[in-house]
Amino acid sequence: MSSFKRKGTGKQAPTYPGTRPSPSSSSTIITSTGIPSLDDILGGGLPLSCSLVIAAPDLHSSYGELVQKYFIAQGLTCGHRLFVIDDDADRFVKSIMWTPGSGKATLAGASTVGEDDEQSSHQDDKKITIAWRYESMKPFQTTVSASTSNSTDDYCHNFDLTTCVPPAAIEGALQSGQLACIAIRFSDPDQPSTVRLLHRVIEILKPERTTSSSLSPPIRICIPSLGSPQWGELTRQDILYFLHSLKYILRQHPHACASVSLAPHISTDSWGGTGWLQKLGWVTDATLSLIAFSANPSLTSIFPSHHGLLHIHSLPAPHTLLPPSDKFSSLRGLAASAGSTGGGENNLTFKSTRKRLVFETLHLDIEGGVGERRTTPATTTFDGVDHAHDHASHAKLHKSAVAAVEVVLEDFGQEKPSIGIVDKAAEGLQVKPRKQKKSVAFRADRPDLYDF
Amino acid sequence: MLSPFNLPEGILLLITDELSSPADFLLHRHLASHIKEAKDGKTVILSVSEDVGRWKAVAAKSNINVSQHLDSGGLIFLDVLSQVRSSLEAGQPSLRSLMDLVVPTLAPSDSPLLVILDDISSLEWIGFSLLDITRFSRALYAKCRKANATLLIRHHNVTPDEPDDLFRHLLQLCTYHMEVRSLASGRSGSVSGEIALHSGLSAIPRTVKLIPRSSAIQYRLTDNGAVFFGRGTGGGVL
Repeated sequence: MSSFKRKGTGKQAPTYPGTRPSPSSSSTIITSTGIPSLDDILGGGLPLSCSLVIAAPDLHSSYGELVQKYFIAQGLTCGHRLFVIDDDADRFVKSIMWTPGSGKATLAGASTVGEDDEQSSHQDDKKITIAWRYESMKPFQTTVSASTSNSTDDYCHNFDLTTCVPPAAIEGALQSGQLACIAIRFSDPDQPSTVRLLHRVIEILKPERTTSSSLSPPIRICIPSLGSPQWGELTRQDILYFLHSLKYILRQHPHACASVSLAPHISTDSWGGTGWLQKLGWVTDATLSLIAFSANPSLTSIFPSHHGLLHIHSLPAPHTLLPPSDKFSSLRGLAASAGSTGGGENNLTFKSTRKRLVFETLHLDIEGGVGERRTTPATTTFDGVDHAHDHASHAKLHKSAVAAVEVVLEDFGQEKPSIGIVDKAAEGLQVKPRKQKKSVAFRADRPDLYDF
Repeated sequence: MLSPFNLPEGILLLITDELSSPADFLLHRHLASHIKEAKDGKTVILSVSEDVGRWKAVAAKSNINVSQHLDSGGLIFLDVLSQVRSSLEAGQPSLRSLMDLVVPTLAPSDSPLLVILDDISSLEWIGFSLLDITRFSRALYAKCRKANATLLIRHHNVTPDEPDDLFRHLLQLCTYHMEVRSLASGRSGSVSGEIALHSGLSAIPRTVKLIPRSSAIQYRLTDNGAVFFGRGTGGGVL
């Protein structure tokens, strides 16, 4: 008999679906925001009893509300109780995204199809001639994938922006009381609407305190647009008091968390005076700014593959001195740099693709030298356009689309348009016989110095 | 008091910090050393923005059972927001009721007393007037002087380039000013920030070694506390 015994009884089981203990301390229970990369930045997820504030100062986009939609969708699929505070909450919750397919079986099917796609694109990648010393390296990654950061399926669902929530799901949740919409109904000009809503939040959370806490589902409070005209005229003090009290109330209820998006006009220092965003950061647990490029054409042209910058003001640390994110976030990259080099934090950006919102690290394209790093265009199939060519030349052309080498066809006796133009033609025709995944490759503009 | 800085007892220490380099580790460190050094010591925490749960969880990392001290009366935790909430929502913010509550806890005694106010800036942000807060801080300091207590006030500096009025007032009041700043080069994995120590108006000159900004002590936060090191001697450099 061995004298070594396992001390504990293994990992503590999560108390409720969609939650798990934080990797840093077992007393912190975290839940997902619905976006895997945002979870990573927060250090695994948003801890219960904490508040998250998103400031999106751009008037022309609504990334702040998009994050809230993910937050609601994730809560609905996990069976959490949801309270949406907005005058237009009914319409808001009906427009949230949903998982592709309705049941679990189709979900699994979809994911295998995705893997197939990925595999085929990897096979295509192999056709690129890579210098031998780089060949064994992993492909360049700018974000975290859902599968690596979250092992259990229930924790963070795979939402698809092209899929809308089925109305029956919303109706069912509304009737069962899982989802509740709270109107602001600003009426009394003497008392700011925030004070009344604070009392409402306390009322919501009060029964939660008396019931046995481990079995009741977590509560998510969602405010899609704090400070918009429906709230009446709010002063800086009103907003700071509201957020400060909300944080205070949540701390007393270990099974509730809140996510708040600020209206665009109050998300900048120009509204609240110098240091406004810092004040917001102090009175909440986590504060992030999503600064979209859409207002500034020059930024859009500098960063064509990103939609905005992510600024981190504060991060949740409900039970520790050090935010868990500092240690566990692979996107921020502080932990990786702590050991030897002592490097800084990564610059972070976000982009909204057709299917999802992704937070990723910011990288400039390499200039000069061997070439530039590019993701190949999304639709790189030419089957629809150049059906006139014979098979051999087509294969050649297709190969070149990945390796991106200019090709001149002799058969036609005329100059072949460059690949970029062909791509546009393919997109214009909307012919997509075969879907191909994006892949990252190095494109050489001119012949390499060491090309023999 | 406060190991790397060797400050005397019975002072008002103003601690300012920035959002990317919070100074709460200094308060926790101070509480831990106070409880460990003086067995019969007393501590009063006036908390505006943190709940008692976080104090418990962080103190547990340095082997201190806060609940036990709370029960024995060695540690008094005053939740400021719950006291002032009604006056704020009625539209007549006043810190008088809070002061009335604090005074009985500051009875003069032989045992060393530590008072922590965390933090004073939030009071201003959520609606108290500057006059109210300056009066409160002056009254609190006077009470602490009578009880020979050490008073720590934490203030968040959101505009480092142009100090606000509350900060100016506190600077006149304090004995020493400890400034926690983030690195100018941004967040780093191996250095969390740097600390400078300045003298206030009521400090006795040449008793404490001051630390100017140019040679500020750097620190790295860990799970259990902070590691201090001189400039250029951090783990990332050596």
